[in-house]
Amino acid sequence: MLQNIAIGQYVPGHSFLHRADPRSKLLFIILFATLVFLANNALTYAVLIAFTLYAGLLSRLSLGYILKSLKPVWILIVFTIVLHIFMTKGGTVYFQWGWFTVEERGVQQAIFISFRLGLLVIISSLLTLTTSPIDLTEGLERLLGPFARIGVPVHDIALMMSIAIRFIPTLMEETDKIIKAQTARGANFTSGSLIKRAQNLIPIAIPLFVSAFRRAEDLALAMEARGYRGGVGRTRLHKLAFSWRDAGMAVAGVLLAITIGWWRA
Amino acid sequence: MQITFDQVSHVYGKGTPFERIALHDISFMIPSGSFVGIIGQTGSGKSTLIQHLNGLLLPSAGKITLGDTVITAKQRLPHEQRRDIGLVFQYPEHQLFEETVAKDVAFGPSNFELPEAMVDARVREALEIVGLDYEKVKDRSPFHMSGGQMRRVALAGVLAMQPKVLVLDEPTAGLDPEGRNLILEAIYRIHQEQKLTTLLVTHSMEEAARYADYMLVLAQGKVALQGKPDEVFMQAERLRELAMDVPETVAFVSRLNQMLPDKEGLPNSVYREEELIAHLLERLSVPKEG
Ligand SMILES: Nc1ncnc2c1ncn2[C@@H]1O[C@H](COP(=O)(O)OP(=O)(O)O)[C@@H](O)[C@H]1O
Ligand SMILES: [Mg+2]
Repeated sequence: MLQNIAIGQYVPGHSFLHRADPRSKLLFIILFATLVFLANNALTYAVLIAFTLYAGLLSRLSLGYILKSLKPVWILIVFTIVLHIFMTKGGTVYFQWGWFTVEERGVQQAIFISFRLGLLVIISSLLTLTTSPIDLTEGLERLLGPFARIGVPVHDIALMMSIAIRFIPTLMEETDKIIKAQTARGANFTSGSLIKRAQNLIPIAIPLFVSAFRRAEDLALAMEARGYRGGVGRTRLHKLAFSWRDAGMAVAGVLLAITIGWWRA
Repeated sequence: MQITFDQVSHVYGKGTPFERIALHDISFMIPSGSFVGIIGQTGSGKSTLIQHLNGLLLPSAGKITLGDTVITAKQRLPHEQRRDIGLVFQYPEHQLFEETVAKDVAFGPSNFELPEAMVDARVREALEIVGLDYEKVKDRSPFHMSGGQMRRVALAGVLAMQPKVLVLDEPTAGLDPEGRNLILEAIYRIHQEQKLTTLLVTHSMEEAARYADYMLVLAQGKVALQGKPDEVFMQAERLRELAMDVPETVAFVSRLNQMLPDKEGLPNSVYREEELIAHLLERLSVPKEG
């Protein structure tokens, strides 16, 4: 029932993107997002699209599966297109009907902005598809490390994030099971008035809370039993290390930035 | 209710990198009133198989027939018929949610819009079947009971719907021997009294041997063996290949037969504990003189 939400989930693998350091991937995305906002003509967009396709190839995931990550935002994209076509004015008038016009700049903006959204979504899905949640939070923790000096509890935030991410699939599975079990007892979640449907959530919500609390308690106990005392003095099993892949990404980033800067209007 | 699976397959996550064939070309026929033991290692597809029985999962291919109702990839089970198939999930106590035991057990029957008096009667009856005293437990919170009691409350919650087919997914997992026996005996009693068709998923050969009159052995999503228990247990070699043991009774008989001269061996088809004991007593009793 909830299987469709696998989108955006980590797919284990050994591709270039999988093995690159999460820190460089995060930094690269920040750079890429900036460049997407700087792009303002067909040429620069073409460069970014070509680059994104190439990055997709580097992940060795099927293109269809990567494009599926657009599913949750397609309404937003369509909405943006419609809004720009109808509201943005300027340039040649393509179509006129009373006060209502479709003009050149509107069409252009519609295309650019929808590509902008699409590129951002795809490149960030490439990050989550090729980086395990553990690596991702560790990368974040390390990047934000300097803020710990000014009193930001970076380690605790990272730990909370990784625990939350770790338990999302577990809780989904659990929800799925509970829904099935209550359905087997005749519960009907899809029909009836709004109030009735809200009441129908109780048989799902209560067992879910009970099990979430039980899990949290177990986890806290297990961590304490193994001597967890917070981040101070903690060493790591897997140390993040930069490699030639990260150097490659840095070079690609610089080249991309120069190209966009040169060719933008 | 007669249950037929005709070349049923099930694929999880079709079209994603997580695609997984959980059931492959499963076919079998269970006559009405049987007690079927479904055995297999973790991940062999037992839970997937039984969720097809009340339409929680639809087959990706193939056809299931329940009595007169047909389920296929495109043909769902009508809501009212869910009540005929009582499905008890693994760790069913995790699904309890009401303030009191009586209310929780009443959840199933109330969903099928029975009159209140009838629901009450069914709740009382279901709790007695699982060996809980209605007057004592009805107002207690299910969350304050022991694990074994909670599981029996959850079982009562399914029995109160008075299904014609009872399907249980590892009902004894994680219980102590006493809790295990209480649950299994309750299940067997109601199976006989109400002439149910019962499917018991387990990975204990002992449990299957004790109650089942038909067995399905699953391995990697396929039916590896099926038949009457004695037929299945005869294939000790094949079971070992599947990393499963024959029940201790069967192992005992074969070891005993190795030590006895050929003609005096016990029949290989003996696998029920009581039967074995009867045979042994007969052999051991000294014939009366005269
Ligand atoms: N909801 C699900 N989504 C994807 N795969 C699943 C799901 N449930 C089970 N599976 C997979 O299907 C196979 C059979 O699982 P299951 O039916 O639970 O086996 P069993 O009950 O015999 O342990 C396993 O490999 C399992 O990983
Ligand atoms: Mg199972």
